[in-house]
Amino acid sequence: MKKVITGNQAVAYGVILSRVDVISAYPITPQTTIVEELSELTASGRMKTVFLKVESEHSAMAALIGASTGGVRCFTATSSHGLAYMHEMLHWASGARLPIVLVNVNRAIAPPWNIWSDQSDSLSQRDTGWVQLYCEHNQEVLDTVVQAYRIAESVKLPVMVVLDAYVLSHTSEAVEIPTGEEVDGFLPPYCPEYPIDTQEPVAFSTIATPDHFLEFRYKIQKAMEQVPEVAKKVDDDFRSRFGRGYGAIERYGKEEAETLLMTSGTVTGTSRIVVEKLIGKGYDVAGLKIKRFRPFPIEEIYKEIKGAKKVAVIDRNLSAGVGGIFAQELRASLYSRERRPQIFGFVSGLGGRDIALELIEEAIQYTMDHPRPEEEILWLGLKK
Amino acid sequence: MTNQLTFKGASQMPTISVSFGHMDWNKTGAWRAQRPFYEDKTSPCSTACPVGNDIVGFIQKIADGDFGGAWNLIKEENPFPGICGRVCFHPCESKCNRRDYDEPIAIHALERFVSDFASTLNRKIEKQPGVRKGKIAVIGSGPAGMSCAYHLTKLRYDVTVFETSSLAGGMLRAGIPSYRLPKDVLDREISNIEKLGVEIRTGMPFGENLKLEGLKDYQAVFIATGAHQSRSLHIPGEKGRGVFSGLDLLKKINLSKKVMLGDKVAIIGGGNTAIDVARSVIRLGKKATILYRRSKEEMPAFGEEMVEAVEEGVKIRYLVNPIHIQQKDGLRRLECLRIELGDKDESSRRRPVPIPNSNFFFEVDSVIIAAGEEAEVSFLPKGMEKREGIVLTQRDGSTDIKGIFAGGDLTSNQRTVAHAIGSGKRAALAIDCYLNGKNPEEAIRQILIGDGPSISIFRYLHPEERRMNPHVVTFNELNTDYFEPLERRKESKGVAKKRIKGFGEVTSGYTEGSALEEAERCFSCGTCNRCENCYVFCPDASIIKAEGVFSHQMDYDFCKGCGICFSECPRGAISLEEEAR
Repeated sequence: MKKVITGNQAVAYGVILSRVDVISAYPITPQTTIVEELSELTASGRMKTVFLKVESEHSAMAALIGASTGGVRCFTATSSHGLAYMHEMLHWASGARLPIVLVNVNRAIAPPWNIWSDQSDSLSQRDTGWVQLYCEHNQEVLDTVVQAYRIAESVKLPVMVVLDAYVLSHTSEAVEIPTGEEVDGFLPPYCPEYPIDTQEPVAFSTIATPDHFLEFRYKIQKAMEQVPEVAKKVDDDFRSRFGRGYGAIERYGKEEAETLLMTSGTVTGTSRIVVEKLIGKGYDVAGLKIKRFRPFPIEEIYKEIKGAKKVAVIDRNLSAGVGGIFAQELRASLYSRERRPQIFGFVSGLGGRDIALELIEEAIQYTMDHPRPEEEILWLGLKK
Repeated sequence: MTNQLTFKGASQMPTISVSFGHMDWNKTGAWRAQRPFYEDKTSPCSTACPVGNDIVGFIQKIADGDFGGAWNLIKEENPFPGICGRVCFHPCESKCNRRDYDEPIAIHALERFVSDFASTLNRKIEKQPGVRKGKIAVIGSGPAGMSCAYHLTKLRYDVTVFETSSLAGGMLRAGIPSYRLPKDVLDREISNIEKLGVEIRTGMPFGENLKLEGLKDYQAVFIATGAHQSRSLHIPGEKGRGVFSGLDLLKKINLSKKVMLGDKVAIIGGGNTAIDVARSVIRLGKKATILYRRSKEEMPAFGEEMVEAVEEGVKIRYLVNPIHIQQKDGLRRLECLRIELGDKDESSRRRPVPIPNSNFFFEVDSVIIAAGEEAEVSFLPKGMEKREGIVLTQRDGSTDIKGIFAGGDLTSNQRTVAHAIGSGKRAALAIDCYLNGKNPEEAIRQILIGDGPSISIFRYLHPEERRMNPHVVTFNELNTDYFEPLERRKESKGVAKKRIKGFGEVTSGYTEGSALEEAERCFSCGTCNRCENCYVFCPDASIIKAEGVFSHQMDYDFCKGCGICFSECPRGAISLEEEAR
């Protein structure tokens, strides 16, 4: 069944279809309508879910850590300051190997106060041991939430699904909604590795001395390293059942091109138009959509780099003192590789400013015109 | 150590850190997967001590300045600290963990210090109180017999010791020269045993005046008549004039009898008796040459005494084997063969192989044969199994005859004072078991120090006190970050030129200062000495002071199980165990 729904509603549908047992969340703009939707669904009895009201995002995640340890499927959603407030518990969820799924609606972090789209909130959490998946459109949002549970429960790591504020969260699109039975066939119930027996209480997350801590972290890294293969299987299965799949990355435009444009989130949608237009004008260009940020899909990206001499990366985020975070990740992961194209790191659209067609075209044009970037950070649309 | 959680690597480890220990006591769960606890373990010195001394215990008392306490502790296991401190070959020191760090603790010197200090206190020794449980006869007043008598008295038996000679002490008196063991030290320690209520009847040779049948009044008999027969060389001329046995010579000197020796003396043998004889001969103003058929490495005499002997002018000729003692104009002419070393024999020493036609002659005035001693077994009652000159017993000293036990040199080829003292103690325990219908093997097993063979009679008497894990602490289990290299305190020795003028004691004991310094060097392996490293390092203030067996205890309401106390304990006195299910 197709429905015209917002990105936040698409999240809620994904959660219902995944038969989540426990939800705990605290409202924050622009995530609020997700929680609103889910609380109403729960209150009306349409969803058989325990909805825990809490006083903060930190408590929301803490509550889910307890619930997930108890062996049930859990969900929360947040944004910006809410995610930052959860930071400690994000580490806990991954360290305890709990397959919690969190939806983060990308929003800038204050001050100055700002409620618009910016990836700095989720990317600030890149080292917390969560898988991170970024979405381009509302259909992908719904599908990714469902896929996220299967990935999380397979590798025993939490997954963060990310969508842009307003551009997706509050914008309606036609979304194909699978039936519950169809999703049940794809997503089996969750079986925890260490079930809890309340008659025989034990202690989880006990101390690990320097003798063993490193090895526990090593295991998390090994689980991360399983993600590409697991996620591919999950995505392939999803495609075979529902006719839609996304991959860790997606290439569009020319099959071989000297210049590549790398984007994530909704900027990709706009970029598709620009790339198509420029190819029409005879430009040697292709686009790369990065869906999975953690673990960083360098193997998949490297296959697409082929003969490319330059990669323009548009980052809607800023790690002050360094630059755009996607560009940094790409630079770092290419360092030991044989083919290392020039990386042009553009920073644009912070705090929700529109990354319009012209800016994207400007970025591609600059990249084609220069053998190498003139500066580490290329500000796109900056009013000097 | 025992139930500590250790994983070889990530592949063995669970996905997450989880304790399957029962958590009913704390509904919110604890950090702990393991809990630390104080647990004394066995020190390598104690397990190496044939006597079974609580070495770490008495050294700690010395370090605390409690010399009287050290004395009491030693006396629990050993009635002869003054003797052991002087003549024991101190195997404890060769197992001392400090050997792997700088130099072992001078345990013998500390033991001697404690004994000498105690003798200055003029303490009155009271007769062992309590009703006597029975009458036991001990035959032989050497270290084995007296040790057995001492412990039996402490176990509240009436003990009578029968001694052939006119003075008690056995080999301690007859065989050990007074420059190593002064007679007053021996007299003091024997008389201390007598004061407890042990009766010693001298001039009672076993098998002659005294027969087993005459001991019917006694419920058990311990035979420790020693090994006093000098071994023969089986060469022509060894019964001739001017040829003596080493042990006979030492006995004469020790009993201040006149000794007729020429100027040039050859001593044949390489054991401790040979060295004792040679050094005694030097003190009588003669020249002494030891002839030994193997090389220095194979020589069974203790290294330290060989060094002292050479300092005093004893010559040692290696790789020579006398084959004939000829008499020539009042001189002894030793015909010898030169030797080369072949393959290892059953003693894992290289076998001496005579070189054909290498005969040479060695002219001396007197020849002393010190080729080892054997036990005299001919007078022993029938029914005791004997093999290769010793009486065979069970581990507890029991013989094939019910109620008859044996120990010391008579039953073992180890032939050391410490082993003799240990065997006497073991027999005392076995006799107590025998008379009370207890299983001696089981009793021994309960009180082994480490893996044994030494035992602690204190634990037999007080099974609930001073509990100790038999695990022997290794060097790697210590945290040596908390120690610094410190030179071993030396005992002072007289210069060789002066000491050969008579039979005065060669080595002087520690001063109080040296004893304290040396005791401070002790790692105290496995035994808490209240250093409080745990108290200082615990990040959660979960080590609290306590009154009890240990000076501190863990506060398990707050202990996170980080194990820092365990790893920072310098001496392995804290253990970790997995939280129990």
